[in-house]
Amino acid sequence: MNLDELKKLKEKAQRRVALREGNKKYRVVFSMGTSGIAAGAREVMATLLDELDKRGIENVEVAVTGEIGLVDAEPVIRIEEKSGENVTYANVNPEGARKIVAEHLQKGKVVDGLAVGKIKEPEQKH
Amino acid sequence: MLEELSLHILDIGMNSLAAGAKNLEVVVIENTSRDWFIIRIRDDGQGMDATTLSQVLGRNVTSKKGRKKPIGLGLAFLRQTSETCGGSFHVRSVPGRGTTVTASMRLSHIDRPPLGDLNATILALCAHPGVDVQLHYRSNGQTFHFSSKEGKSHELGRTQEAQGKGTTASRAA
Repeated sequence: MNLDELKKLKEKAQRRVALREGNKKYRVVFSMGTSGIAAGAREVMATLLDELDKRGIENVEVAVTGEIGLVDAEPVIRIEEKSGENVTYANVNPEGARKIVAEHLQKGKVVDGLAVGKIKEPEQKH
Repeated sequence: MLEELSLHILDIGMNSLAAGAKNLEVVVIENTSRDWFIIRIRDDGQGMDATTLSQVLGRNVTSKKGRKKPIGLGLAFLRQTSETCGGSFHVRSVPGRGTTVTASMRLSHIDRPPLGDLNATILALCAHPGVDVQLHYRSNGQTFHFSSKEGKSHELGRTQEAQGKGTTASRAA
């Protein structure tokens, strides 16, 4: 491990911690259990963070969770919107992560090819 | 199997987060002269009792029984890696106090996976709010410390510790 590489950690982590403050429009949750990690979830997350920084998108909170039970569809990420709408993306690779940032997190458009589930809180309880 | 040791660290660290840890300490030591590579992950989470611990260390654990318990294949994977690479694997856990996982291996062992992207691992662990994630990295006299709580890191570099060659090596081992 290169020490210079490690020094970049400081900068990146500081930025992430700072961005945690306040109410965000989107919350991106990564399934980071063993199956997710083995499928490459960490690289997908690193790419997504990188893309957020590149585009200067700050209205997004990023979180991790354990196994969510979609083992064969990993890497899985869930995007929770403030309005209560949740979208789950499966089999996300780094390229897909960039697409999700560009389309969903920046323009609010769901990336159809990757989304597996879209749940909207029922407006009427019947 | 996981291709990088840093992925193992992420995996074990996620267990700590699931166990409700508020402090998570990752120690990585590379020591060329003694040919050791050591990983230690310590948390102050809910810990495990003796029964759970024996289940976790058993080779037949295939899935989690409950979401809160840090049981999975992760520990078995790391155990296999360290034993394959001429090292040892140890878990110490006290219910209510926390868990420490220590894995060692031969640095030069041909099957030892590379450390990989430790930054991405620590960043992923830092995504969990309310947890102080610390990294202590030592490699042949160079040290690096990071704490997410302070939001800063500092490199001690080749300080007096490293100048007295061997001091660090003996401590590291």
